[in-house]
Parts: sequence; C-alpha cells; structure tokens
Amino acid sequence: MSTSAVTDGRAPTAIAPNYGIDADRVLTVDDPIRWLLRRLDGRFAVDEFGGDPHLMDLLAPVPAAAIRVEVEEAHRLPRAGAALLVSNRGIGLAEPFVLGLAVRRAVRRRLRVVGLPSLPVIRPLFQKLGAIGYSPNDVAAMLRAGHLLAAPLGMTWLRAGAGEPPRSLLAAALGFPVIPVAVCQGGLFGTSPGVWPTAPWRVVIGEPMLPPPGTDPHDQLAAAELAEQVRDAVRALLDQSREP
Amino acid sequence: MRVLVTGMGGEVGTRVAQLLEEHDEVTEIAGCDYVPPRRRLRRSEFKRIDPRDRDRLVAFVTDFAPHAVAHFGIYEPDSRLSPREAARASEACTVHALGAAARAGSLQHVVVRSGLSVYGRGRGRALMPAEDAPIAPNNAWGRLLLEVELLAAGIARRHDVTVCALRYATIAGSHVPSPLGRVLRLPTVPVPALADPPFSLLGRDDAARAMVEALLRGHDGPLNVVGPGATSPWQAVRFGNRLPLPVEGPGWRLARRLTELLGAPLPDHVCDILRRGLTGDGTRAYEVLDLGFVRPTQEVLADLYAWATVTPIVEATRRVA
Repeated sequence: MSTSAVTDGRAPTAIAPNYGIDADRVLTVDDPIRWLLRRLDGRFAVDEFGGDPHLMDLLAPVPAAAIRVEVEEAHRLPRAGAALLVSNRGIGLAEPFVLGLAVRRAVRRRLRVVGLPSLPVIRPLFQKLGAIGYSPNDVAAMLRAGHLLAAPLGMTWLRAGAGEPPRSLLAAALGFPVIPVAVCQGGLFGTSPGVWPTAPWRVVIGEPMLPPPGTDPHDQLAAAELAEQVRDAVRALLDQSREP
Repeated sequence: MRVLVTGMGGEVGTRVAQLLEEHDEVTEIAGCDYVPPRRRLRRSEFKRIDPRDRDRLVAFVTDFAPHAVAHFGIYEPDSRLSPREAARASEACTVHALGAAARAGSLQHVVVRSGLSVYGRGRGRALMPAEDAPIAPNNAWGRLLLEVELLAAGIARRHDVTVCALRYATIAGSHVPSPLGRVLRLPTVPVPALADPPFSLLGRDDAARAMVEALLRGHDGPLNVVGPGATSPWQAVRFGNRLPLPVEGPGWRLARRLTELLGAPLPDHVCDILRRGLTGDGTRAYEVLDLGFVRPTQEVLADLYAWATVTPIVEATRRVA
C-alpha cells in the first residue's frame, strides 16, 4: 500500500493568487494585510455555487491545526477534472473537514462537500466554504463544471461501517468517476470509543469506478447498481484499513 | 432569411440587429419598439410602434412576413417601464407580434428572450438549475417570462415552428438600463445581513451573440445563457467602492422605499437576486450555440462600475477646432 502524496512531498506547488475564476485549485494565501485589503476592496470572486475560494484558502489551516490526517493511495485522486468521492461517516460533522484536508494536501484542490442543511446563517457560511445542499441538480452542475465533490453515505452514528448510498446523487453523477473513500476515525472529534485522542484520522482512497461504457446518463438501474458497488467498495476499504 | 427583431430599441435588441446585419444569409431585417434603436443600423428597417398598439403592430409584422423572430419585446420591470406597464407591454408584444408572424405563413423559427428567474429560488430548489430543472418562478418577472415561453410554445404547437427560449442571467453593463445595475451603483446598497448569495451577470454583447446563434442554428428548446463565475451582493458592493447597508426581514421594505427615493427602484425580482441569488448552468448553451468566450461575471461587474471620463463640452470643442 502506498502512502500519501503529502508525506512523499510530491504535492504540486501552489500558483499565484488570482482569485478571479479558478475555484478549483488551491492558491497561495495573501499575507494578513493584503488579505484584508482584498476583502475590503472586493477584489475576490465567488463561484456560481456561492463558494468563496479566497475565504476557503484562508480558513483551511484552522482545521488542519486541530485534526491530523493521513492519506493512503492518494495517487488515485484526480489532479484535474470532475469526480465524486463517496465516503462513510459516523455523525458526519468532522468527516467533511478531514476529507477536505486530505484532498488539499494530496492534490492541492478544493473539495466541495454535498449535504449542507438548510439552516439560516449556517448555510450561507458553509456555502462560502464550498459546501452545497443535497441537490442532484447541483451535483450534476458542479461535476459538469469540473469540481471534485464529496458525498457521504448514510450516517452510522457511533458504529463504524458503510451506511446507505446516496442513490439520487449517484444517478446525477453517472458519466463521471465515482471514487469510494474510507474515513477511519482518529482522535479529536472522532466518535469511536477506544480511539487515542492524538491518533490521526486515516483516509483510504479506493479505485475510481464508472458505469459500463454506453450507459445512458438517466439510467436509474445503472445508478442503483453503482450505488451498491460503491457501498461495497467503501466497506471493503474499511475492513482493509482495520487489518493490522 | 427575413428576421423580425421585436424590442429593437433596447440595448440588446439593437445589438442583435447589428450582428444580424453581418450575416449574408439574413436578407432582410425589420424591427419595432416604442423607443428608437440605440445605435446606427445600416440595413435594418425600424418602425416605432408601441407594442400595445395592436393594429399597427399586427399590420407591420403581417406585411413583413418573417421567417424567424428574435423576440426581445419583453420588458424588465423598472428597467424603462413601471412593473405594471412592463407586464402589459410584454404580453401585448408577445401575443400580437408572434401571433401575426405565425399567421403570415412564412415563420419557421422563434427565439424568445427569457431569464433564469423562471426557475425560482428558495428551499428545495436547485442552486444552479440546468434546463431540465423544475420551473417554479417566485416573483412577477419570473412568472411573466414563463408566460411568454408558454405563449411561444403554444404558437409553436399550432403552427409547427421551432421555439428556443434563451434563459439569460441578469444582463448588465455600463450602458444597459438594468434595475439591478442602478441599485448596485447607488452610493449605499442594501445587502442581506445574514447571507451572501451568488448571482451571475451577462454582458450585452454575449446576450446578443447567443440570440443570433440561436436564430441561425434554429435550436429547439430552452437554453440557459450564463457567463462563467459569479458575484455576491457584498463582493459587488465593495468592488464598486460602495457602502453596504446590511438589511434583514422587514428592513427590506424600508430599503425599497429608500432606493426608490434615491432614483433606483428595487422591484421584486431584483430584491430576490440580492436576497437569494440567481445563477444557472449554461453548459448546454456553450455546446449547442458554440458560444466560445463569454465574458465572466466579474468583468461585466467591472464594466458596470466603469464610466467614461466626462469631457467638458468647451474643452471638446477646442480639441476639435
């Protein structure tokens, strides 16, 4: 099993800030004074989904300081182009941050997370940080725009495992690579009993999956089959990660 | 091909006529509106007709017997007409012009100006609707656009013509009379206090180019026409060096009174854009119409705030002399 691109030191270098159109690749963060001036002058862009790349890059180090993440099989993450990551989740609060950190470190891309609840204040804030609601239309639009998305399986609460697959989202993602991902809980915000508080979270990336060639993009049966395959793949990755 | 351009007096309508004049396959161009064209047209025929003047409009269209119609006679509320007048003029222009064009017997294709407002915004609706997303407008402008689309579709069914509805993002620019543009150019602009929803802007030339391509290619069905990227009320206001005025709940009613007093009425649909945003997925239009480069929202925003340097008349006269 190969280790992460992070630890290999193979992550591509960041490009200079433009904060115009590119909402996908991680950019160099301005120094605090320039950052503030840029915000005050409105010299930053938001994307069509409400994401604010400038703010995303500034706040990314906050969870990174609190959560330790190790990425396995990072080479399977695409460095460009659209893909949907489907991962397990316990309660689902920490996992999006963990996945986002893993993707940032491995391929220097911004991960967009699906499943934002419709709550006042919370929704606009997290929308700025790149999340979107549970809408198949928006998932399809985001994939067409070339983003890297993460959609969770159903919640498993305190039990480790793979929950119900998001069938409607997978139907919207037909034609794009779907990548199963196992997120193994670590310390700080992890909910599994017996996990050491300083233990890192582990993110294991699976092989990208696609429906058979020639599948109609509206084929619901193909979407349902893909959903089952993805859940099985996440379960297998979880089992594999538990092996000593 | 004979092309009728309704609403030829508007910024985009005039530009459509200019672009059509460059195509040899378009042999004749005629247009009508209640205001004259904004720029010089070389081979287009223009008749100043109020769209509510049924007899004159029908006679003009019947006499011209167009093969294709670029229907820009749809007037945005508080752009140049009050919301009530805009709705009446748009309905009249659609019913009279399209009906007469279909009855004239030569009509093959209609392209209708519509907007992303037909999708509506709010809980459970797509943030980035594609053309197949559910239609549920939640303001008068969106409902008017939907009605126009339905009227055009009815004519298409009865007379066996193809209809393309171009669902534009908000068209803006330094010369475009847009209520959103006017509000954003106020010294103090009302913005939502607890949200910052994204909205897209589209440049005049891109809107006109999409219309011409849709006319020449004869596309059937709706298409979203949206430039890349987006902006948000807070970002746009600061980008224009304006002062944001955070507003929430009933405060919007007060804000609407205030902006009206300052000379920039805030109609329902513009209020919705500021409070809920307005974007759409324009991928299909890029492919079908082969649009190539479309100006990003941020460029259109910069254009909105760009004003030409004012040269005093005395100085200009001296320079010419």
